[in-house]
Amino acid sequence: MKIYSLIFVVLIVLSGCASKSYVKVVDSSVSRYIDIDDVKERLREDGLKELQVSGENETDEYILLRYRVTWKDEDGFEIPSISSNWTDLPVHKNANFSINIIAPNTKAHDYQLFINKQGD
Amino acid sequence: MNKFKLSGVIFVMCSIFLAGCADKTQRIDIHHDTGDQVMGLDYRDFNQAAAEAVQSMLKSGALNKKGGDRYILAISRITNDTMQHIDTDQLIKKIRIELLGSGKVVVTTAVGINGAEDEMSSKARELRQNDEFNQRTVQKKGQMIAPDMSLSGKILQRNIRMDDGKQQVEYYFMLSLTEIKTGLAWWEGETIIGKRGSGKSVAW
Repeated sequence: MKIYSLIFVVLIVLSGCASKSYVKVVDSSVSRYIDIDDVKERLREDGLKELQVSGENETDEYILLRYRVTWKDEDGFEIPSISSNWTDLPVHKNANFSINIIAPNTKAHDYQLFINKQGD
Repeated sequence: MNKFKLSGVIFVMCSIFLAGCADKTQRIDIHHDTGDQVMGLDYRDFNQAAAEAVQSMLKSGALNKKGGDRYILAISRITNDTMQHIDTDQLIKKIRIELLGSGKVVVTTAVGINGAEDEMSSKARELRQNDEFNQRTVQKKGQMIAPDMSLSGKILQRNIRMDDGKQQVEYYFMLSLTEIKTGLAWWEGETIIGKRGSGKSVAW
């Protein structure tokens, strides 16, 4: 019984530590064309978080997608930033692509990156 | 007389009818604007140019002052070399807001290429020796901070007539960040926005 209680406590602690950051392909039809292979993040020397999302266009067509990022501080409050506007993302046919973004300030802790079709 | 009355009634009815057919004015949802592109520059273009410039500046590390302190930035000449009557603040203000939010820069409004942007900093100092004002509340000499960096640039437009009669308009947003002490440009950025449309469109 004691071991179950311990596991329960550990799970609660771990869920509290879990990052609230994610990368989301908004439109399911886009998921059929592109694959998100890797999401890297690092803290630069100047204290700004840097994010790199890598993916691949598996089709024989050039696609113009777009993305936007919302940044949140440690308490979950959104940090107003120009990067929350949609930005064009050119994706060449049968090629890898990457999105490289830097946080608007040192308070930015979590991010939500959305990828979508143009015009949606 | 009846003839005049009848004409008047017809005129009023036509006016009401035409007004009913007119397109209603709609407010743009600037967070999800699916409206067609225009040949001229609109807010979407300024957003894109400003976002790219700020991202590039922050990534370059040119604004990282030793000790984590902030640089004082002065806004220099931003030339509008397009055929449009645009206020360059449409671009620069977005950059200023974002850089201020980054915690790496403070913009001075006391120094500008055509004088101070906010003249009140100097005007308020004219209150020195004015007996009507409590002199302890008047700013002392030597309090203002001189700029370390300067942001200058140009927005350029090129119109190209294409073989099929269409028109291509290219806009170049060019910016430089200069260290005032040395006169060296520590960061430079360029965003190109191209538009292609009817040759009859007017891009100004």
